[in-house]
Amino acid sequence: MEEKKKKRSSAKTLQTAREAGYFGKKMLANTRMAVDEGRPVAWAMVEWWLGATIAKAMGVELVFPENYGAFCAASRTAEPNLDYSESDGFPSTLCGYARNCLGYARKLKENNFVIPAESTGGGMPKPDFLLACGAACDARYKWFQALGRYMDVPVWLLEFPQTGSKEYFLPGNKEENISYMVEELRAFVSFLEDLLGRKMNWDGLEERLDILFKTHELAYKVDLMRRTVPSPAVCTDFWALMIPHLYLPDDLEALAFYQRVYDEVKYKVDNKIGAIPNEKYRMMFSELPPWHTLGFFDEVAERHGVAFVFESWNYHVPPPLLEDEKKGITDPLELIARYSYHKFHHAAPAAKEYEIDPILFTAPYLEYVRDYQVDGLMFHPLMSCRPATYTLMHVRNLMLERFKVPSLVIEGDIVDLRVFNEEEALAKFDAFIETMDYHRELRKKEGLHW
Amino acid sequence: MQKSSGLERASYIYTNRLQVARELKMQGEKFGGYLCCYVPVEMLSAAGYVPFRIIGDMNEPITNADAYLPSVMCPFYRSCLDLGLKGKYDFLDGLVSPHACDAAERVGLVWRSYFKYPFTFYLDIPHTVHASALVFFKQQLAHLRKGLEEYTGLKITDNDLKKQIKLFNRQRELVRQLYHLRKVEPPPVSGTEVLQLAVSLMGLPVQEGNLLAEEVIKEVKTRKMKPSKMKGRVLVWGCLIDNTAITSLIEDCGLEVVMDDTAIGSRTFGHDVELTEDPLDGLALRYLEKIVCPRTFRETGKNRANDLENRFSYLRKIVKDWHIDGIYMNLIRNCDIHGYEVPEVRYFFEEIGMPVLVIEQDYSTAALAPLRTRFQAFAESIEANR
Repeated sequence: MEEKKKKRSSAKTLQTAREAGYFGKKMLANTRMAVDEGRPVAWAMVEWWLGATIAKAMGVELVFPENYGAFCAASRTAEPNLDYSESDGFPSTLCGYARNCLGYARKLKENNFVIPAESTGGGMPKPDFLLACGAACDARYKWFQALGRYMDVPVWLLEFPQTGSKEYFLPGNKEENISYMVEELRAFVSFLEDLLGRKMNWDGLEERLDILFKTHELAYKVDLMRRTVPSPAVCTDFWALMIPHLYLPDDLEALAFYQRVYDEVKYKVDNKIGAIPNEKYRMMFSELPPWHTLGFFDEVAERHGVAFVFESWNYHVPPPLLEDEKKGITDPLELIARYSYHKFHHAAPAAKEYEIDPILFTAPYLEYVRDYQVDGLMFHPLMSCRPATYTLMHVRNLMLERFKVPSLVIEGDIVDLRVFNEEEALAKFDAFIETMDYHRELRKKEGLHW
Repeated sequence: MQKSSGLERASYIYTNRLQVARELKMQGEKFGGYLCCYVPVEMLSAAGYVPFRIIGDMNEPITNADAYLPSVMCPFYRSCLDLGLKGKYDFLDGLVSPHACDAAERVGLVWRSYFKYPFTFYLDIPHTVHASALVFFKQQLAHLRKGLEEYTGLKITDNDLKKQIKLFNRQRELVRQLYHLRKVEPPPVSGTEVLQLAVSLMGLPVQEGNLLAEEVIKEVKTRKMKPSKMKGRVLVWGCLIDNTAITSLIEDCGLEVVMDDTAIGSRTFGHDVELTEDPLDGLALRYLEKIVCPRTFRETGKNRANDLENRFSYLRKIVKDWHIDGIYMNLIRNCDIHGYEVPEVRYFFEEIGMPVLVIEQDYSTAALAPLRTRFQAFAESIEANR
């Protein structure tokens, strides 16, 4: 049985990263406490800060089943949930987070919506509604729709238009996208007001947005500092740190935490302290990691001096909105819409420059590879979070053609550890080192700056 | 093109659709490629393009696409790009790709990164049918229209669009007539023959397609039918079927394919475009709201029963009207849109007494042989309970 595989957690190189798991536990605990106190609870998809802040301003406690899926995967407790969902007829090719959640929801239902005692992290309580999202992958709404099988709770789908690189620059198109998002957010506010029987707390929303932007500004500055050689932090740090900025950016505790992250990273940069002792190769990772085997990244750092200096566009904060774009906006819903749209389209100029598509999951890497002086990329096509990886081969081609940066492709999964072969992956990595050496020379000959 | 008519001609065009397109191109036609059933073909036709539905080929191993798309994605869309990379679609003059599902969206966008057609457009499609979604979708259609006008130098007037809407409504109505003819027992036309016609229509100029459909109906209506020896009548639900290898396999096993709920079938031909004063209103409504595909989210309602009724009650009517004996749920591996739907659709069908066969297949004719025994067993069970 695969369960016998030795678990290899990552050590993480930042002290703050080692502490960040607290925020995941905090979310779970807060939702359970809310239920005890009779306050509303929702399960939400990651929706790039479009609706979660609004819901929280209305007093709703949120928990993110995607994060719960990663939690279960990292603690290697997902398999029983996966089996349970498959036995209900859900194909094994569906998103691992989704199958974990569907299996969990069935257990919850079978236990009369009392959280089963053995639930990982104390478990997620039954929600009052489900907050789905139309961005990035179809699972973000089909999964929550499928939960109707287990619980009679409404699903609200937040629309999130996605634009092609050419269409982004069509006159009027961007503003139409923003207007559409604003209209949808107004409808969401009405939905919440009807469901909860209370009016929107607009002042509360503005306060939360203020905190969110401050947290994100710090997170963005941390990203910028990671361009330094040697890199002050690596991917395993980021995947822990992303919990507060992705799920709880409007939380004062998260803001205070991110100040500490910033301070720690800045200290390392100022004192030229690398995340790994002997950084020889700077690599980038895309898109989601094998949560169950994060120790893999420590191993390649130790063996080859590989620092994963950047990763996973989808989960990073975007560059701050330009002042011009914020100027004159008085409606917080419009500010939210502009920011979320910006998250998905900030790399449109790069897409235009290189005449490529799509913007999402692809164009940002064209900027990162130069900015972070990347020697190679590791791509991780996922058996069960497939849409995040549909463009990996495309990005691989672009990196090699345009920047002479090679890629290593290692298949695996975010949740299902049965499909990740660590020994084979390490052997592939050993061979890839020479490839990076070769291309480093090639870049020099071609006048590329790293 | 071969001189034949009706079903024989449909079969010929189905088998040789790329060659037929090239011949038409030699005669001066321009081809606008498009993915999925969410692209308004009326718009392409009004701009002077023959709308050409890009499909895959289950007979062709996917090789070239391996360098561009991971193996873990939808094999149908991988196959589409594979054919493109092999030059099979080199006669296309443009490409319109919709945000129909993740795979359609990404493949369309990756496609145009490598093939620089004179005209391309990415059509974003909302996931809901909210009023604001309709407004937004109409704006997207206006951008498509303007883009086509700028590229072709032709003004696409409202009257041009209305004329095309009437022509395509006629085509949809003709195909529906053929569907209705299959309500009787024995059906005078097989599922394989209907699929051949459907695929043919998606690569012909609309008027030529309408003539072909009229010929087929005329021929089918005059057929002398013998009592059927088939074991049951099935509805195919789910992922698209673009290759008769599947319908033939089902029919060889003793089952009549009399109706479908798929994207090369009733989802394409099931609903007309309303002739509204502003034709974009009718197009937006038809393509966003009327096409019933799991990719579009419908409001969940008060509870599960309400939700299932909202989403699937049309299937109950199909089962009744077409005298369905069993359901084949066709799932192409890695299709999330349909994959999440399977347990609930299956439950819905079983609640109305329908036996169900779910198969997740790999979009490859080489992988169909092992499925024969499953269809045979399904046919036997249907016959036993008929």
